[in-house]
Amino acid sequence: MRKRQRRWRRAALVMALGLRTLAVAEDGQIVVSPQYGGTLNLGTVYVGLSALSFDPYDWAWKVNHDAGMVYELLFAADLDQSVSRGGRYRFQSEGWLPPDAMRGELAESWEWEDPLTLVVHLRRGVRFTGKPGVMEARELDAEDVVWSQQRTASSPKASPGYYDHIERIEARDAHTVVYRFKHFNSEWDLRSGYGYYAAILPREMATVDSRNWRNIVGTGPFLLTRFVEGSSSTYQRNPDYWDRETIGGKAYAIPFVDQVIYRTIKDAATQQTAIRTGKIDILEVVPWLAVDYLKETTPELQWTRYLGSTGEFIALRVDREPFDDVRVRRALNMAIDKREIVEHYYGGNAELFGYPMHPDFEGYYQPLEAMPPSVKELFTYDPVKAKKLLAEAGFPNGFRFKVQFAAVNYNHADLLPLIAGYLAKVGVTVEIEPMEYAAYLSAMTTKTHAEGYLLGSGVVNPVTSLRKSFRTGQIWNPSMWSDPDFDRRITDADATRDETERERKIKELNVEMLDQAPYIWLPTVYNYIAWWPWVKNYGGELRAGAVRPAPIYARIWIDLKLKKDLGF
Amino acid sequence: MRAYLLRRLLFLLPTLLFASIIVFVTVRLVPGDVVDLMMAQNDISAVRDRARIEAALGLDHPLHVQYFRWAGAALRGDLGRSLWRNTPVVDVLAERLPITFELGVLALAIALSVAIPIGVYSALRQDSWGDYVTRSFSILMLAVPGFWLGTLVMVFPSVWWRWAPELEYARFLDAPLQNLRQMIVPAIILGLSLSAVTMRMTRTMMLEVLRQDYIRTARAKGLSEQIVVARHALRNGLIPVVTLVGLQAPLLIGGAVIMEQIFVIPGMGQLLLDAVSQRDYPVVSGVFLVVGTSVLLINLLVDLSYGFLDPNVRYR
Amino acid sequence: MAVAAPRSLEPAIEAPARGPLAELTVRLFREKKLGAAGGVIFLVFLACAVFADVLAPHGANEVDLVHRFTPPSWEFPLGTDRLGRDMLSRILLGARISMIVGFVGAGLATAISILIGVVSGYLGGRIDMLTQRAVDAWMAFPDLVMLIVVVAVVGPGMPQIIVILGLLYGIAGSRIVRGAVVAVREHLYVHAAQSMGAGTPRILWRHILPNVMPVILVLFTTRIGAVILSEAGLSFLGLGIPPPAPTWGSMLSGSARTYMYIGPWLALAPGLCITLVVYSVNVLGDALRDLLDPRMRGLR
Repeated sequence: MRKRQRRWRRAALVMALGLRTLAVAEDGQIVVSPQYGGTLNLGTVYVGLSALSFDPYDWAWKVNHDAGMVYELLFAADLDQSVSRGGRYRFQSEGWLPPDAMRGELAESWEWEDPLTLVVHLRRGVRFTGKPGVMEARELDAEDVVWSQQRTASSPKASPGYYDHIERIEARDAHTVVYRFKHFNSEWDLRSGYGYYAAILPREMATVDSRNWRNIVGTGPFLLTRFVEGSSSTYQRNPDYWDRETIGGKAYAIPFVDQVIYRTIKDAATQQTAIRTGKIDILEVVPWLAVDYLKETTPELQWTRYLGSTGEFIALRVDREPFDDVRVRRALNMAIDKREIVEHYYGGNAELFGYPMHPDFEGYYQPLEAMPPSVKELFTYDPVKAKKLLAEAGFPNGFRFKVQFAAVNYNHADLLPLIAGYLAKVGVTVEIEPMEYAAYLSAMTTKTHAEGYLLGSGVVNPVTSLRKSFRTGQIWNPSMWSDPDFDRRITDADATRDETERERKIKELNVEMLDQAPYIWLPTVYNYIAWWPWVKNYGGELRAGAVRPAPIYARIWIDLKLKKDLGF
Repeated sequence: MRAYLLRRLLFLLPTLLFASIIVFVTVRLVPGDVVDLMMAQNDISAVRDRARIEAALGLDHPLHVQYFRWAGAALRGDLGRSLWRNTPVVDVLAERLPITFELGVLALAIALSVAIPIGVYSALRQDSWGDYVTRSFSILMLAVPGFWLGTLVMVFPSVWWRWAPELEYARFLDAPLQNLRQMIVPAIILGLSLSAVTMRMTRTMMLEVLRQDYIRTARAKGLSEQIVVARHALRNGLIPVVTLVGLQAPLLIGGAVIMEQIFVIPGMGQLLLDAVSQRDYPVVSGVFLVVGTSVLLINLLVDLSYGFLDPNVRYR
Repeated sequence: MAVAAPRSLEPAIEAPARGPLAELTVRLFREKKLGAAGGVIFLVFLACAVFADVLAPHGANEVDLVHRFTPPSWEFPLGTDRLGRDMLSRILLGARISMIVGFVGAGLATAISILIGVVSGYLGGRIDMLTQRAVDAWMAFPDLVMLIVVVAVVGPGMPQIIVILGLLYGIAGSRIVRGAVVAVREHLYVHAAQSMGAGTPRILWRHILPNVMPVILVLFTTRIGAVILSEAGLSFLGLGIPPPAPTWGSMLSGSARTYMYIGPWLALAPGLCITLVVYSVNVLGDALRDLLDPRMRGLR
């Protein structure tokens, strides 16, 4: 009983403090001035996974998440346009920034000199912090940009063709970088500007072991001071960081916090305990199943939810019977009550349609309601029509097929028996084959996977989402889709400079691919973000570049008094 | 005896060599190799690109060549580098081994401090209620699935009292209190689950010793029961117990994976689990070398301790 | 930890053959009340496993999304899980899986222990030395690597889990059997049989095996618990028997670890079942050891 009372007192306190802020804001006076200091403990989106690498040369997909605290890129998100600051964007997409919400980070400005020449003017006075044994502190210059990006492109692990659209990069003067294009590529800004492997390193890194975390030196808001694999990465504030955050018309030096610690916690139950006991301030991955319980036991927590950037589907191998027949593929889509899955399996915490286009992809995404009837049909439960289609395709009594999935994916382990149940009702028997993760993944990369393959695939960005899944020979193409017409058109869309025109082409391709049903399209799940009320200047933004949260964390400040008042 | 010891030590190397070859080869032949994983990560599908990555990782040579290179380097104390992080495997092991060692020592200490009193008591009061209760406690701790108990401890105190063990690892030398706040709970869970075996052992040895003639003599001389137990029975009964406790060490080296995962302890178990899952071959081989060598040495010790247990066993 | 096969610490026990089972049972109930209680608990679970089909009110995989997360009620005495499956039915059918895994796994383990232990211990000499070194090599091999390798090659499943646990525990346990055999071998009657010209198989069958039987019986009972516990641990690591099989371990792992706090019924029942079964076989094993070990006789 006493426990409960204390809990309510705390909740009341939070509300009172919240009201105070509101009242003041109505006055039109801004007294919310940020504070410096404190430690921000984070359970990020990748809380279960230690840094894979601190060097973009390794082409590890999450290097921006870990090294991106130290290294900066040419472009980043303009966080002033985030919903929590009164803008329109949530900044939660893994590898996509809305074009009008992109700002220069290391780039002061940029322009196209001609259709194939991009000139980037670097910000002046940006300095590498320096580190004994590695380099002296010095100003960033154009040579660093050229060196970094050429080096990354030359890695043996580089994705082939990733930089094929660029003929060469050169330094025109100390603060100007020139990109000469062979042809336009719609992802130029991602690949060279804010993307996974676009970090800018000092060229002195050539002389040291650039993959050793102790050596990394950047221009970014933080310095990496400690890394314990499987436990934590500790980042100290860079006192000489160049960027400023404007709050209430006043510019403040950032970061506000003294240090940021990424905590590595694999176990979901432990993650939730960590946020509940204030051992972490923000947890970016709370599964919806745990939300009610956390809210009940820890009413002070602040919440937001985001639609996951992972599409769920069962890929059907179109190069094999019976899935070479589109009727069969469509029938399986109709035989599953996807609305029931959304409502009852996910408790309403999922979208019927969030893949291969994510609702965040403004301009590219069309809601289901705007889709033609033939697409809507695939998301409507109709076992009668499914049976009819199967009979037409020559399977009046159904058939049997195998679905492989990764045994470590708990959601899939629960979901698959449910799906098998639906399909059994139209006479289709599913053989469930769980696999060890690496064996599972390599079945796809070596194209030896079964006719059915349950996969969660990152949506990345509008063009990539379709290209990587359906272009002939792509490694993430588990349905083995191969259509010269599609290949030509996706390449064409990629090379289309006009945004509106490209949006139109992608929308068209998207509708066609949905219609062809190479997958059993499954609902996309929501995740939740929880944070303590003392975390300020934050509204659940996840990424300010491809898997890069650094600018977000640099702008958070901690209300140390509130934290103390709440008993921490 | 000395000849036996010598022969056993001589056998150690070929045994290790043989096992290391098996480990080396199997992890490489398992479906889903490291290059596949890297290719998937970077959207690479061409065979040509595959060859380039293999070459960069040194995986483009025939298996036996790779093995001899690894073994040769290992003899010089170089265990290669992680295929993913490029950190020297020796450094990784040096970081993880003390953590696992500490957890193991703590757990063993707890196991002994629970097991020996219960074992002695339940031998002295065989089949009494006290025997049943204490022994049941110890066996219950063995029977509770560790991951379940660990999760309960992780979740419920945090709900009831906002309490949770420390979750950020610090080295004992840097911050002893923080370190212990994290280690103590998993150590207790592990230690209690181990205690049953040691308890059983202690009880058996005590029952055995209590029947010996010199105990009867001591009793007949009219010495108090406490003195008989403490001075005579315990001392003699515990030698093999203490020796055999060493046998639990390998369990703790390779076996604490689940506790490590729940309590966020970056030990050898998690390292091995991650390395096998990511197919980080040099790390797998490195962990094997450390764990395997200690298991072999401990087995040797235990075999030697049979001599104490039963003088009838001859070494040949 | 449940995954690694514990290298057993049971001391070698030597004993001549015991009398009939009935006498043993009587003595168990008269002298070893805790062990008897263990035996009864175990029999109850065994009965549940055998009659699971009859006892279970629902199908173990009867999905009913509308009734998901129902607290215990008359219709669902132990509540329902995420998919609306009846927990009681899943627990009962889970008992069957646990018993199969436990019995077959422990049986296999014991058979392997006997085979290696008897051959190595009786023949002695070079064969013993070589066998023991091979056992060493095997035990030096990290269990986790072996498990993941097996799962990666053949996928997770009940048969492979039984085989791998049987191997792990069997080879580890062979040392105990060997120890017992070595002790028996030195006995006079074995020498007598040898000098009378009895063949090796005959000596093994008639003289050695009966005399190490008590050790084996104890080994077998405690192994049942160990194998059940290990299987549950494997579920935690995602290497256990795959869904939708209603294993106790899987009811406590995977997504269940996120939602088992929504209702205590989801967390308590499977955990308690595992604990009770493992506890019961262990106290039973201990009691049998006390009863069968000749050195214990006459102590009371």
